[in-house]
Amino acid sequence: MKTIIELRINDELFELLVEPQTTLLEVLRDHLALTGTKEACGTGECGACTVLINEKPKLACLLLAAQCVNMKITTIEGLADDEGLTPVQQAFLEKGAVQCGFCTPGMVLTVTALLNECPNPTEHEIKKALEGNFCRCTGYNKIVEAIHEAAARLSTASPSGR
Amino acid sequence: MLLPRFQLLQPKSIEQATELLGKHEAAARIMAGGTDVLPRMKYGLESPSYVIGLSNLPVFEPVDSDGFLLLDSLMSLTDVARSEIIRQNAFGLAEAAYAVGSYQIRNMGTLGGNLCLETRCMYYNQQHSYQFVEPCFKRNGDRCYFIPKGKQCWAVFVADTAPVLFSLDASVEVLSNGSPKRIPIDEFYTGNPLHPCTLSRQDLLVAVRIPINSGLRGTAFSKFTIRGGLEFAAINLAVVLDVQEDGSTCSNARITVGAVAATPIRLKKTESLLIGQKLSDDLFNDAGRTAADEIRPIPHHGFSASYLKACLRSLTRDALTSACSRIPRH
Repeated sequence: MKTIIELRINDELFELLVEPQTTLLEVLRDHLALTGTKEACGTGECGACTVLINEKPKLACLLLAAQCVNMKITTIEGLADDEGLTPVQQAFLEKGAVQCGFCTPGMVLTVTALLNECPNPTEHEIKKALEGNFCRCTGYNKIVEAIHEAAARLSTASPSGR
Repeated sequence: MLLPRFQLLQPKSIEQATELLGKHEAAARIMAGGTDVLPRMKYGLESPSYVIGLSNLPVFEPVDSDGFLLLDSLMSLTDVARSEIIRQNAFGLAEAAYAVGSYQIRNMGTLGGNLCLETRCMYYNQQHSYQFVEPCFKRNGDRCYFIPKGKQCWAVFVADTAPVLFSLDASVEVLSNGSPKRIPIDEFYTGNPLHPCTLSRQDLLVAVRIPINSGLRGTAFSKFTIRGGLEFAAINLAVVLDVQEDGSTCSNARITVGAVAATPIRLKKTESLLIGQKLSDDLFNDAGRTAADEIRPIPHHGFSASYLKACLRSLTRDALTSACSRIPRH
């Protein structure tokens, strides 16, 4: 049975008609055309569909849309604003951490959450945080470099992070 | 990948949840974090008519009640790994929670969900086209594809938090048809890969109860995987070491190995080797050898029994060493 739900995505309210089995990923991609969130495995193994739910990285492919009511949902489209890219996005660009780009939205969101929780992560903490985000191009080295760079910039940046 | 159709029920309280369970019985499936049940539904291994989502239930903070640490079964694994009271009293449990899945999975998955994890084998938990030929035991068939001459299911139970709870002598609180019941953790698992937990369809796991030890104690968890992250355990191990006042003589040891059978297994021979002895690297080496001789692991996911034994030897040694290093010094 379809129900009407209201979701807060990237600080905007959306009223949606969904089936109980509709995942958040389907809502984002198919109902709202927010295709930055990717689907690869669909079973929680690859991290391509990572979104932030109340600032915590979670997997949109394993969340039912109806469970996400009253939560703050952030997708990759919600990071950059008029002032430009976030330090994490900028560092990914500059350090060559993006190749085919399919894993990048998930990576960037995971890293954004990591640096929020732990502003100066060690190499081990970075790798541990990224264990659920698969990248088949870069070999991860450039990504880890980009995260160190982003952490360094964030710690010297103004309180707004830019 | 699409989910099959179902009705989603979202109770607001535990009472409502048990009521719904009693009403729908076998047609309903409980979903806490959803990281285990939803992939199974996507693979077509399960298609319940009702899914009871527990994400709206309130979650209580870990509390010290009468010498027991009481944990909500709906605590996320991230919260278990970070909780100060858990790290102080049962560090091994925090370590095990941190070893589960990935950053995202730990944010979604719950302690109770991990304890009720489905057993796994290389064949069943995947979407293979040949699954639609002749069903295996787990799909109500009569054959095992993983061990082709097998006369039974050989799936193993791989959850990381369960062995620690065995070693900590924990128990679980279950609401059965609405009435509370306490089950020691070693009676919670059946050893039957088709029904790993003793829970019936009306039962709801609500809390985990861990005795708090005020003596000199060290706990540790170790896990072997190939990739080192986002992987179910090839084998995992939990150690609880208690020492006497002198700080070096072992007064009690509880060692539990997981992922080698349909239930975690206590290594009682290895435990008795340690009790009464002075802790030393040589003793830990001996314990590793004894542990490897003590059990016959079920080969799974491409790991042979002898390989798992070799892993068990080094895991035992390493976990004992780190548990020993965590015993508080005066």
